[in-house]
Amino acid sequence: MIWVVFALMTGVALICVLWPLASPRVSHSRATADVTFYREQLAEIDRDASGGLIAPAEVAVARAETARRLLRAGEEREREGPAHTPPKWRQGAAAAFALVTIPAVALGLYVGVPSWFVGLGSPDLPDAPLEARLNASLADMDVSVAIARLEARLAKHPDDGMGQEVIAKLYLAVGRADEAAAAYAKALELLGETPQRREDYGEALVAAANGVVTADARAAFETTLRADPSRPKARYYLGLAAEQAGDRNHAVEIFSKLVAEAPNAPWAAAVRARLAALGAASPSPGAGAAAEIAALPPADRDAAIRGMVDQLAARLARDGHDAEGWLKLVRSYVVMNETDKARAALLDARRSLAEDSAALARLDDLARELGLGGS
Amino acid sequence: MVVEAGHFALVLALALALVQAVVPFWGAQTGDGQLMSVARPAALVIFGLVAVAFAALMYAHVVSDFSLVNVFENSHSAKPLVYKISGVWGNHEGSMILWVFILALFGALVALFGRGMPDQLRANALAAQGFLAATFILFILLTSNPFARLVPAPIEGRDLNPILQDPGLAIHPPLLYLGYVGFSIAFSFAVAALVDGRIDAAWARWVRPWVLTAWIFLTLGIAMGSYWAYYTLGWGGFWFWDPVENASLMPWLAGTALLHSATVMEKRDALKVWTIFLAILAFSLSLLGTFLVRSGVLTSVHAFASDPTRGIFILAILVLFIGGSLTLYAWRGPRLKPGGIFAPVSREGALVLNNLLLTTACLTVFVGTLYPLALEALTKDKISVGPPFYALTFGPVALVLLCALPFGPSLAWKRGELLGVAQRLSVAAAAALAIALLIVSLRRHGPILAPLGVGVAVFIILGSLIDIGGRVVKRGASLSVTWSRAIGLPRSIWGTAAAHVGLGVTVLGLAATVWGVELIVTARAGNTFDLGPYQVTIADVASREGPNYRETYAEAIVRSGGVIVAHVEPAKRFFSSRQTSTTQAGIVTLGLGQVYISLGDANADGTMAVRLYWKPLVTLIWIGAMIMAFGGALSLSDRRMRIGVARRAVTARQLPQPAE
Amino acid sequence: MTRKGRRLALIGSAVGLMALAVGLILFALKDNIVFFYAPAELAEKGVQPGTRLRIGGLVKQGTVERAPGKPISFTVTDNVKDVAVTYDGLLPDLFREGQGVVVEGVLETKDTFRADSVLAKHDETYMPREVADALKKQGLWRGGTAQNGPPTTQSQGSP
Repeated sequence: MIWVVFALMTGVALICVLWPLASPRVSHSRATADVTFYREQLAEIDRDASGGLIAPAEVAVARAETARRLLRAGEEREREGPAHTPPKWRQGAAAAFALVTIPAVALGLYVGVPSWFVGLGSPDLPDAPLEARLNASLADMDVSVAIARLEARLAKHPDDGMGQEVIAKLYLAVGRADEAAAAYAKALELLGETPQRREDYGEALVAAANGVVTADARAAFETTLRADPSRPKARYYLGLAAEQAGDRNHAVEIFSKLVAEAPNAPWAAAVRARLAALGAASPSPGAGAAAEIAALPPADRDAAIRGMVDQLAARLARDGHDAEGWLKLVRSYVVMNETDKARAALLDARRSLAEDSAALARLDDLARELGLGGS
Repeated sequence: MVVEAGHFALVLALALALVQAVVPFWGAQTGDGQLMSVARPAALVIFGLVAVAFAALMYAHVVSDFSLVNVFENSHSAKPLVYKISGVWGNHEGSMILWVFILALFGALVALFGRGMPDQLRANALAAQGFLAATFILFILLTSNPFARLVPAPIEGRDLNPILQDPGLAIHPPLLYLGYVGFSIAFSFAVAALVDGRIDAAWARWVRPWVLTAWIFLTLGIAMGSYWAYYTLGWGGFWFWDPVENASLMPWLAGTALLHSATVMEKRDALKVWTIFLAILAFSLSLLGTFLVRSGVLTSVHAFASDPTRGIFILAILVLFIGGSLTLYAWRGPRLKPGGIFAPVSREGALVLNNLLLTTACLTVFVGTLYPLALEALTKDKISVGPPFYALTFGPVALVLLCALPFGPSLAWKRGELLGVAQRLSVAAAAALAIALLIVSLRRHGPILAPLGVGVAVFIILGSLIDIGGRVVKRGASLSVTWSRAIGLPRSIWGTAAAHVGLGVTVLGLAATVWGVELIVTARAGNTFDLGPYQVTIADVASREGPNYRETYAEAIVRSGGVIVAHVEPAKRFFSSRQTSTTQAGIVTLGLGQVYISLGDANADGTMAVRLYWKPLVTLIWIGAMIMAFGGALSLSDRRMRIGVARRAVTARQLPQPAE
Repeated sequence: MTRKGRRLALIGSAVGLMALAVGLILFALKDNIVFFYAPAELAEKGVQPGTRLRIGGLVKQGTVERAPGKPISFTVTDNVKDVAVTYDGLLPDLFREGQGVVVEGVLETKDTFRADSVLAKHDETYMPREVADALKKQGLWRGGTAQNGPPTTQSQGSP
């Protein structure tokens, strides 16, 4: 199909050259054009003279000048005589030139010349207008397309709570956790509270915090359990929260209870893994992740710790409204013997949390405790 | 399929343009009418093909086809339709396509309307156009192809800079390009005349309408661009002597000179060699302008070297066309026969002076724009040349030009009487002097430039009106006679007068900027400030959500002697998607002046920095430009300028004619 | 006058006018060009206080101070040397900490500068030419060149 279009266009281009070469025509010589022009000009001088545009004394001279040119053009026309017929071979040569040049240049550039020039065109690539792509059947639609489609819809109807909930799930699936959390928050606002929705919101918050159960997330899970104390996911995350906070015993308690209640649930294996991790840890009150890290060889351990700290620092640089996070970061730097960084982090924390007087007080306490100076 | 059809159409247009550059040229050299006759249909089909390519690209932008790199990088599905369309030429690749589209359009117009033209001239001119088109399409295809594809297609585009999402910017580039590229016709005709070795008054008649058309669009384009800068950039300036602006001013100055010298050539068969030179100059400067803006050389001389293909291609094109045409000029120019003679004091003499001054002015801008680039390339020293440089160089030249301007149209052709003209203009001069003195006495301490500027403006406006009046009004003639004389006056004379009045009006607006009032204040809601003749109250400062931005806005009330005359709402918008903010100046036109308010940053204590301006008569700057363009259009509509005129005259010749 | 004489007179006056223009241009160039330096170059060249200059670099993080009734102050850095800048006026839209900036004004002491105009980077891809070059030299900047350069957002004390 597309090649038919190309052929038609090429045909038009060829015809517009070949046709005038083939059809006889009357030539319009320069002398003829000049004669008409100078006649016009003579008339114009008369007009200008009557309008006072040219000094009366000059009219005669100007007329004489133009008349002289008119005469010359007239003579030239006489000299030219009848137009001579051009030789046929020249037209043939011109036609051949066009016949070769047009297809050769067009195809050479578009399709390319083997082993010399890669063609510019991609004749087999169809158009891809966004609308059509978004309306394609769901079966062969990838997640990003589905998201784009929903986003477009939500831009028009931001009050569509169901839409918000669906898009939140999709966001989470492709790892856009921040946006997922925001969408769940909107869905909660629009559709009202259900334990399931609150729980999903909490899970998105955890994902957004790179697996850390933040205070907000913990609040979400606690709300969920107040409405429905049996929900395993919320309980699991609260267990994780306890583990991350260093409360190993509480974590083990929650995880064991979960496994005991539903030993054959699909998620039971994951919980068992957590339990195993906690069990393998040293008996000191180290948190789960910390314990895992402690089990590593020293070089790997340092790298792992540094990686976690860097991740935390990066997150805080993006969003500094997390007092817990800052406290943890400052502490970590001190543990790693990087007092300078700790001081810098403390400064950044003060700037980010300037409006939160409670957090500022805690930062001051920490600074005193770690001997970083209370500046 | 649409996209690839457009792509192929562009490639095909290149192939056909090559044929158009060769076959008609060969025909003209050998006097073969058959070969020459290829030029016209080829020009039309090239235009058709480029139009298909342009439409395909526009279609891709409108339907957000992100399988095109160009669409992906410069569009976004959520953009309003009008900015999707303007986004086509809001980027390098698309704007080059627009450039070629307009080039092909002008070629097609020459083919359509140039019927009475001598075959040789048309064939050579269209061949030159074909060569131009082929070169530029090749440049587009090899270095900036807007049809490059992306697999797999991304789902969302990268948006357009919010500051570029503006109706002013949507129409500014097309206007400017119509101007730039319009001069290509004059260039092609100049090359044709040089190749032919023959040039006469008739040549000027063929070229003049095209020059005039280009000049009208360029005038409007520059005015539009300056108004855009004025209201978007938020600090009330309308001309910065920025290289980008200078790039459009230079072709305008050369084009204005060309317009005037072509008149001399048409009327008096004089200044032929000079006119050819100006035609080459105007288009060369247009090329330079396009590339100064497009090549990135303004951003960095070294950017030129960092993208060698594009940079070297651009340099090659400039050398080819500017160098080539000037070489041709040096070789063939001296052979052209000199034309009519005239006295120094005559219309011709005045127009020569006009030309000299305009080219000199152009030279000053040229040096100011390119000297820093040259210096940096040679010595690595970085300098900038600011307004003071132009005030010292461009300023005096322009002043002399403006003062001499009213004399031109009043002088007769061939030999004029300076005394008579001076007598006629004495009224205008006296009025101008009186007004200037009045201003000086009223405002003792103001800068001298303002009364001087106003005086010159009044002189130009009154001088032009007096000239027209002198032609129309005859002592003792009845009103109906006067009316019929006014109607009978060629429109080009009205056009000249209008364009000159427009220039005077612009100068008046420029002079009045001196009396502007500017306040930078820290304001909070409820504060009132005196601003020239007005009092401005910042009634409220608040914020709200827009479609894709958040804005802080102020409600300002403008009072005059206690009476509310206007409400203004300046705002500052923040686009979170690009982390960019834009200033939306609040502008209200009161009389011919404007109150202009723009918001700055909020301070910690809740106050806000605010800039307030009172700009008396500022609108005259752009009104004047529009009057100039209107004058151009009036001239263009003159019977004598109509392009098919010679052909009609040919038919008329066969009828019995009155004896001359 | 003969035809030739007229022609000569015409050419003579044209040449005279051009000569005058060139003279004007040279005179104006002598006094009205403004040099551009990065902070490090400024220190290197030992520029005299009182000189009119353009300085370009990055706005140093955390140095912008706005106080009502006082000029805005900030530090321009090329990560080698710093220059303290004061400016009384509205900053352009795109002025931000950590972004490129060009300031024009007068050097007051060896490392303080009073700006009367501030130009900020125009968008993600456009940067004032001098800044881009200066930063490239320092190896701080990678990235494309401006493709469409509308006039830079600019802010001036008094036009």
